[in-house]
Amino acid sequence: MLTIENLHAGYGNSEVLHGVSLKVAAGTVVALIGANGAGKTTTMRAISGMIQPTQGRVLLNGIAVQGNTGAAIAQLGLAHSPEGRKVFGPLSVEDNLLLGAYSRLPALFGFRKHAAAELNRIYELFPRLHERKNQVAGTLSGGEQQMLSIGRALMAQPKVMLLDEPSMGLAPVLVQEVFKIIRQLKAAGITLLLVEQFARSALEVADYVYVMEHGKIVLEGLPSEMNKNERVLAAYLG
Amino acid sequence: MGFLAARLRAKFNMWKRFLLIRGTELLIFSLLAALPLLVNSSYALGLLTLLAIYAILLIGLDVSVGYLGQVNLGHAAFLALGAYAAALGVALFDLNLLTALLVSLLVGLILGALLAIPALRLEGPQFALATLSFSALTVITLNELEAWTGGAQGLQINRPPLFNWSLDAVNFYWLCLIFLGLVWVLMRNLLASNWGRAFEALRDSPIASDAMGVGVYHYKIAAFAIGAALGGLAGGLYAFNFQYLQPQSFTYELMVILLLGVVLGGRKNLWGALLGATLIVLLPNLLSNRFTFQMIAAAGLLLTIIAAQQSRPHKQPFQTYAPVLAMALMMAGSLLAENIEDWRKAVFALLLFAVVLGLPDGLIGFITRFLSQLFRIAPPALVAASPLDEVLQSKLTHGEILLKVSNLKCYFGGIKAVDDISFDVHSGHIHGLIGPNGSGKSTAINVISGLYRPTAGALLLHGKALPHGSLYQVARTGIARTFQNLQLFGELSALENVMLALKDTYRCPLPLLLLGFAKREEKRAQADAQALLALVGLTDYARTTAKNIPYGAQRFLEIARALARKPDLLILDEPAAGLAQPDVQRLIAMIKHIHGRGITIILIEHHMDVVSELCDVVTVLDGGKIIAQGTPDEVKRDPQVIEAYLGSAHVDH
Repeated sequence: MLTIENLHAGYGNSEVLHGVSLKVAAGTVVALIGANGAGKTTTMRAISGMIQPTQGRVLLNGIAVQGNTGAAIAQLGLAHSPEGRKVFGPLSVEDNLLLGAYSRLPALFGFRKHAAAELNRIYELFPRLHERKNQVAGTLSGGEQQMLSIGRALMAQPKVMLLDEPSMGLAPVLVQEVFKIIRQLKAAGITLLLVEQFARSALEVADYVYVMEHGKIVLEGLPSEMNKNERVLAAYLG
Repeated sequence: MGFLAARLRAKFNMWKRFLLIRGTELLIFSLLAALPLLVNSSYALGLLTLLAIYAILLIGLDVSVGYLGQVNLGHAAFLALGAYAAALGVALFDLNLLTALLVSLLVGLILGALLAIPALRLEGPQFALATLSFSALTVITLNELEAWTGGAQGLQINRPPLFNWSLDAVNFYWLCLIFLGLVWVLMRNLLASNWGRAFEALRDSPIASDAMGVGVYHYKIAAFAIGAALGGLAGGLYAFNFQYLQPQSFTYELMVILLLGVVLGGRKNLWGALLGATLIVLLPNLLSNRFTFQMIAAAGLLLTIIAAQQSRPHKQPFQTYAPVLAMALMMAGSLLAENIEDWRKAVFALLLFAVVLGLPDGLIGFITRFLSQLFRIAPPALVAASPLDEVLQSKLTHGEILLKVSNLKCYFGGIKAVDDISFDVHSGHIHGLIGPNGSGKSTAINVISGLYRPTAGALLLHGKALPHGSLYQVARTGIARTFQNLQLFGELSALENVMLALKDTYRCPLPLLLLGFAKREEKRAQADAQALLALVGLTDYARTTAKNIPYGAQRFLEIARALARKPDLLILDEPAAGLAQPDVQRLIAMIKHIHGRGITIILIEHHMDVVSELCDVVTVLDGGKIIAQGTPDEVKRDPQVIEAYLGSAHVDH
């Protein structure tokens, strides 16, 4: 579903990714783990077109998408819930969600009706967002913004979702919720690439795991293998 | 041996850098001074004089446009006001030359500050509009005050002698050049000090500037007034150069040209201002000669192609080639158009378009990059870190109440974000603050640190009432904080982020600082900041621009910057959010170390393992109220806390 080959990318003159290759099969959850600064977020940004890779290929459903704009890649069914939430602060919660579905809604009239089913689904997942649907997103607490960011990505009915640190800044009880949601997404057949600080929990939901260090994939395998790997245990599972 | 060689190389690099930079300055200024002796043309002399005056003007404009990042459309008005002030001073009061110029400078300074006080409360387009109205108002007023200014008829003035020495055109040019040199040196010293860093920090994060004890409002007004003062001084020189003033010379079109000069030359750079001034002085002349203009267009095309090649991998194709397209259009125009001067404004527009997209650092950015590659100029070596014990002295704590929060309320409309909470923070403790998302933790510390004004309640630090609703004033009482949504100064390096916040370091009074007597202080600040960077393990990132540092490291940088305030109470807002396990362990060790130095800490955190390991007392909030308080083990067993916060099954804890 999503394949990246020999991806190089960076900021300005400094290269962060030195040839990253990975595969995410349709309907599976793949976890990408590694220390801060290893290049996980940069990998996601290079896939979704937020930054342009300098070398390598990104294949989405067999179509090469590298070099396209973020908007064009999103149209092809890839949604990115970025690290640090990045919600549209001055807009209401509902408007934020509607923007997530922007590319497939009618431009002028009836978009709310068109999106009603999706909206309800999101509100079922996150009742808190329903309570606050008319509140301005910038005044939500950190955790609520995180829910909104995931909800907005889901509105696009993506085939592939990139989730960057979805549990960041959430209370333990909500972290459990997020992992429930990830399981629900998986059950719904959405392909997921997941970056998560709680590596142990990420390994529990994942079908396959890649470990990144210094801009390269250094290890890959099934979660059951990773759970036994001493290097991974020592460095990431604490 | 290797060590000695490295030191020698560092010394050699330092000297090479020093000589190249100072040497270029000396060379250019000598050349400018010698030109009238080499070229005997009164026309060229006129251009040179205007160049010196415009350079002063653009250095002033660069302070607000480059450093503060505000679109300032009022600078031409300060030029006008300075010019008329000098002219009227001579006409009405018979002032001598230097006094008249001093008056111009002061008029700019005072009116600049007066305009800045209301206008700088505005942001972006509103600020631009406010300055634009100011500029329109100035021109109209000068037009209407016919009794003094002669209105549209213009005002004739005589250039007063300098003491008893009447200045001819060449001498007056040298005088302008001397003023430019003075402005150059003084501004270089100012911008290399903590003032320069403060100006840039305001643009990146006003909230963090206040929280670090750098009063946003004061610095913004100071910066704008300094820029306006230079505008006024340039105006005085302008008046005595032309000896004839007309309000129409200072309209909107001049303003656009001045902005073009700053952007084309390169923002945040004295050389950029000089280069920009040269270009806008020469541009009208270059347009009049078809062949020269074709050469310019060809050079522009070449330059944008090179720049596009360099930036190609990082940008969208349109972004990369749009400037080339603009220059190609200009080239084609230069070949086809009958009279290029008719197309003046189109040429300005194309140039501006190409520069903004293609050379964001202006021509000077391009040239410096090229030169530093050519001469292999390494950035200046960093001074070694001070001993940490000198920067962050250990304090003894006695467990007395450091912060007392009583009946604190903070409501937003109908939402009771914090609803009547009271707790004490004892000195020497690590006091945890936990609770579900939206329970009011962040609001509580935003009130304590002065970002929000409490609806009701009292806050006492060391038994004294804390100022309400002012981050800046609270920052000066000994409370420092980090931000959950990072508030770093993105354009500054990691080292500069910490340097800016250093408390009790910058004591040099402004006049001495302008004269360059703050160098020792600056070195000391660098050494102290290095010590704090080392404490959080970021020595390797010292020179890296904060926005390009990886996320986890940015969190640590926030801590180092807060420590630079040498606080009694440090508030950490979710320092472990988004950190991978190895970094969480580093963070725990770091907080233990900081705590060991006698700094009291309020810790907001969702990682219960971190809270359990570090905290002496934990306060649990839910729905704006305190639902439990006690040791970590006590609150973890509390059924209400489990229900509202921990959930039945722990994840990863």
